[in-house]
Amino acid sequence: MIRKTLLLMILGVSSLIFSLGAWAAPSVIKIGTLYAGSGNFSQASTRQYAGLQFWADQVNAKGGVYVKAYGKRIPVKLIAYNDQSSTTLAASLYNRLITQDRVHILIADYGSVLTSVAIPLAREHRILLFDETGTSGKFFRPADKNRYIVLTGLPTSSEWPKVLANFMRKLGIQRVAILYAANDWSGSQANTLKSTLKKLGADVVFFESVPDSTSSYSTILHRIAEAKPEAVAEFGYSNNDVAFLQDYASSGLYFPMLFVPNPALHFEVVRKAVGNAAMRYVYSYVAPPLIRYNREVTHGPTLDAFEAAYTKSGGRNIDLSTVAGYNTGLIVQHALAKAAKYTQESMRTAIDAFSGKIFTLDGLFKVNHEGAQIGESLPVGQILPTPSGLKLQAVFPVESAAAKYVYPQPRKP
Amino acid sequence: MPKTWRSTAVIVAITLLTFVFVPYIYNNQFLLFNMMMYMALALGLNIIYGYTGYLPFGYVGFFGAGAYGGALAITFLHWSPYLAVIVGGGAAVLVGMILIPLFRLSGAYFSIANLAAAEALYYIVANPHLESITQGPYGISLPQVYDPNGAYWTMLFILLFALVLSGFIRGSRFGLALAAIRENPLSASMSGVNVVKLRSISWLLSALVAGLAGATFGWYISVFYPETVFGLGIGVFTIVFVLFGGIGTVLGPIVGTLILYGAYNYIGISTPQYFQLVYGLIIVLLVLFLPNGLVSLAKRRGIDVP
Repeated sequence: MIRKTLLLMILGVSSLIFSLGAWAAPSVIKIGTLYAGSGNFSQASTRQYAGLQFWADQVNAKGGVYVKAYGKRIPVKLIAYNDQSSTTLAASLYNRLITQDRVHILIADYGSVLTSVAIPLAREHRILLFDETGTSGKFFRPADKNRYIVLTGLPTSSEWPKVLANFMRKLGIQRVAILYAANDWSGSQANTLKSTLKKLGADVVFFESVPDSTSSYSTILHRIAEAKPEAVAEFGYSNNDVAFLQDYASSGLYFPMLFVPNPALHFEVVRKAVGNAAMRYVYSYVAPPLIRYNREVTHGPTLDAFEAAYTKSGGRNIDLSTVAGYNTGLIVQHALAKAAKYTQESMRTAIDAFSGKIFTLDGLFKVNHEGAQIGESLPVGQILPTPSGLKLQAVFPVESAAAKYVYPQPRKP
Repeated sequence: MPKTWRSTAVIVAITLLTFVFVPYIYNNQFLLFNMMMYMALALGLNIIYGYTGYLPFGYVGFFGAGAYGGALAITFLHWSPYLAVIVGGGAAVLVGMILIPLFRLSGAYFSIANLAAAEALYYIVANPHLESITQGPYGISLPQVYDPNGAYWTMLFILLFALVLSGFIRGSRFGLALAAIRENPLSASMSGVNVVKLRSISWLLSALVAGLAGATFGWYISVFYPETVFGLGIGVFTIVFVLFGGIGTVLGPIVGTLILYGAYNYIGISTPQYFQLVYGLIIVLLVLFLPNGLVSLAKRRGIDVP
């Protein structure tokens, strides 16, 4: 009898301990990420990380994020390492975050190159990768059947220029020259613009690539001029855009329309390097914070509220990278608040469930089955003179337009 | 059995045991993989630089050629990754053969010409017009063969192969002939050493090791861009690791990589804000006080370093 009672007691205590262990909430939610403290991606990466840090500080000030699986708020702890823009170091550090730090949430570094090495690791370890700005289309191929990735911000880069192609056709532009730097991000935009324009009946009269490191465009600009285009689109990183616009300004050439992508991402950086005169009337995309989502926002602060709080806290002026970092925090927060269980699979299911139903300061959050962002689109903007200086303003499509476009652009004096 | 070969056998055994058992107590497999990769690259570079005196600044070109050679074998021929690794080694050897005329140059001119060749190779691979073959700038994706464990053991095998190869060269007449070429090619030639042939063989062996390592690296990470595998940082690290350990030895590149790559990761994690400063200081001190690498400390005390 005594032995039986003892056995029952042991069984009872064991099951109690087991059930407590199963339901015990973690003391903190460990969020692992990388940033590039130096190298090619440092400028955008550190700003993106600052946005994420600001989100973490904000939620911790309120006691943490609400985790539905435990029915309470839990503080978040950011664990971040500096990958110095190196993919080999980044892969090692992602591995460390997963296997040694055992983070609950994994967030990728800036851009496709530094995100690429995280994808197979996340998939192998079955941890959901929150991809902030890695917009390469090959991360989201249906054939790969990878459910462990979600692009939280921008649409895949091959989607970006579709609005631009429509705008060019609306202007009646028939002859278009496309120049691009040989990298995934630029090349996929150039290819999409080319194919979309052809579908719309326009002629691509010049289509060439240059190395990423190109710093002189004088000869290429004259070759483009020989093709007599009505519009020229140059796709590249910031350094490419800067060199292209500087050389165009000093070339004496004239094209009725010029498009470059980076003013949308780093307006002030490009403006300071190029100067106001060369930037005037140039077209670009328009993305937050240049396009300001306020009234539409259903989740998290409006863009105005975020900017005010961020700058008040001592942060620098915000740009797209800062917004992307903060926005990722918001998506993580919502996934934790909606996931029935504290598991990666449950978070992914929750994301699918609220996809297309929430609007943040970065736009509509909507992902497809592969995790690619399809909710946001990038209107076309033009850099126009205003009483307060040059401003990149949305001009197309009509429902997003904040100003009337100027086409053809005036000749430079 | 010559003494060098015995010492090499000991180094091989210790390396094998280390990389077999360390994963049981340290689970950042990719860091260990990278450590092995840089050790193999350092040993491969040492075959041409340490034994013949020719420093190829563009050594990473072979690494990238191997990564792409292996990836193309997987993508187009649907070969197993193990066979693809061999194809990667072959691709690097092919590139090495094309670059043999660079040996008409010497010293800094050879180094710079080699660097230019590696950059040219990078731009060829990244050329959008070759998208149907190399995927151009859009990068390679090999999720169908992703197998980190398989790649880990393959890299260990390549490291052991590089060790055995280095030990064999150092203890053989071939190695002696290479040393003669390093000291004075003209005198070596007049002594009956076929300078062109032996130098070319060591060059191709060096390329083979880098190509095998590159193909295995591509297999491990399975998603990569041209700049990932042709990044000059990989070549610079390899050269620094060889110099730090000591050129012309089997042990030097291993020790150099172990300490410097270990420090690289430790500093990068513990004090990332001082990373460039600390790492730069280490290299400056090395150049000032240990120009012949760590093994020179032992040699000064009369200890023979394999």
